[in-house]
Amino acid sequence: MGQEIQLDFISSDSLSTKSSLEKIDLILNRIKNNVIVVLEEGLTPLEETELIEATMREIDAKDFHGIEFYRIDHKATRLREKIANYIAGKKMGMTIVGPTRVVEAIKREPDCISMLARGGEELSTSAQGAGKSTKKARKPS
Amino acid sequence: MFGRWFKKIFNIFKKKKVIQLGFYGPVNAGKTTLANKISMDWLGKEVGVVSEIPHETRHIQKIENVVVKTDNGELNMNLVDMPGIATQVDYRTFGAYGLSEEEAKERAKEATKGVIEAIKWLDDVDAVLVVMDSADDPYTQVNITIIGNLEARGIPTIIVANKIDLPNSSPSSIENAFPQHVVIPVSAATGENIEKLYATIQERLG
Repeated sequence: MGQEIQLDFISSDSLSTKSSLEKIDLILNRIKNNVIVVLEEGLTPLEETELIEATMREIDAKDFHGIEFYRIDHKATRLREKIANYIAGKKMGMTIVGPTRVVEAIKREPDCISMLARGGEELSTSAQGAGKSTKKARKPS
Repeated sequence: MFGRWFKKIFNIFKKKKVIQLGFYGPVNAGKTTLANKISMDWLGKEVGVVSEIPHETRHIQKIENVVVKTDNGELNMNLVDMPGIATQVDYRTFGAYGLSEEEAKERAKEATKGVIEAIKWLDDVDAVLVVMDSADDPYTQVNITIIGNLEARGIPTIIVANKIDLPNSSPSSIENAFPQHVVIPVSAATGENIEKLYATIQERLG
């Protein structure tokens, strides 16, 4: 039987009360358990470097070699949407983060983000289970 | 936040005499090769060792008082060559380059520390050359994060589309990916178009 891949979707509402540090902890705790995390809002560039820095501190030769992540931006174009987002404190977009032992690559294509995930040989000793699957997330227009 | 703004405003009036120029970018983009080229051209000595093995630069390498002279004046800079930014470091990849397991693990350990050090240095650089491999896809999260960070911090940035000597290089891909920034195509290895980079550094940072 193939290795199962778990994806956790985190809503922007639950992220809105968290500090940058809490968001990073939330992501890394899941990632280290081989869970792919999809955040319903984009991390800021400064939060992204904090995520990279925290990842580097957690890397160890045995179990954890790092992350793949991608931020999909979505800029509000209508004034009503901009005001609503400003009031709600929402950062538009989406961030996908996965551990490298599960997520082989996240690539940007013209109209979508393509994520190549695997039930790798490290996760399962079954040769039949060592497969790859591609999950595609359509980019918000 | 306020400290950063205060520093910027203070620098406008102070007009710093020596600019801390950071070399940022992904692993193996040619940052050290470029720093070496600039340093050799103006100071006659190299900054660091270049290698095809990823994460060759694992510590900050700094060379001081490099004075670049162009038709429009001269600029005194400290070149700060950073370890490449990465989101993953897997020691097993070094095995392909002939490193023993022990050497590979040590290299990986140093590489993770190097990435942290490079990120911390973002607080201390005055301007940045973001070096990208023009033969690679520029739409990587590492490139996007570096550029986003520099924009958020208000640090003057020039993107260097390096390795234009390679047959599959495509500096226009980098220009298309980051249209809001100046992109200078160069080959740090052959020196092609390096004069244009010097002129741009003088124009933007002088």
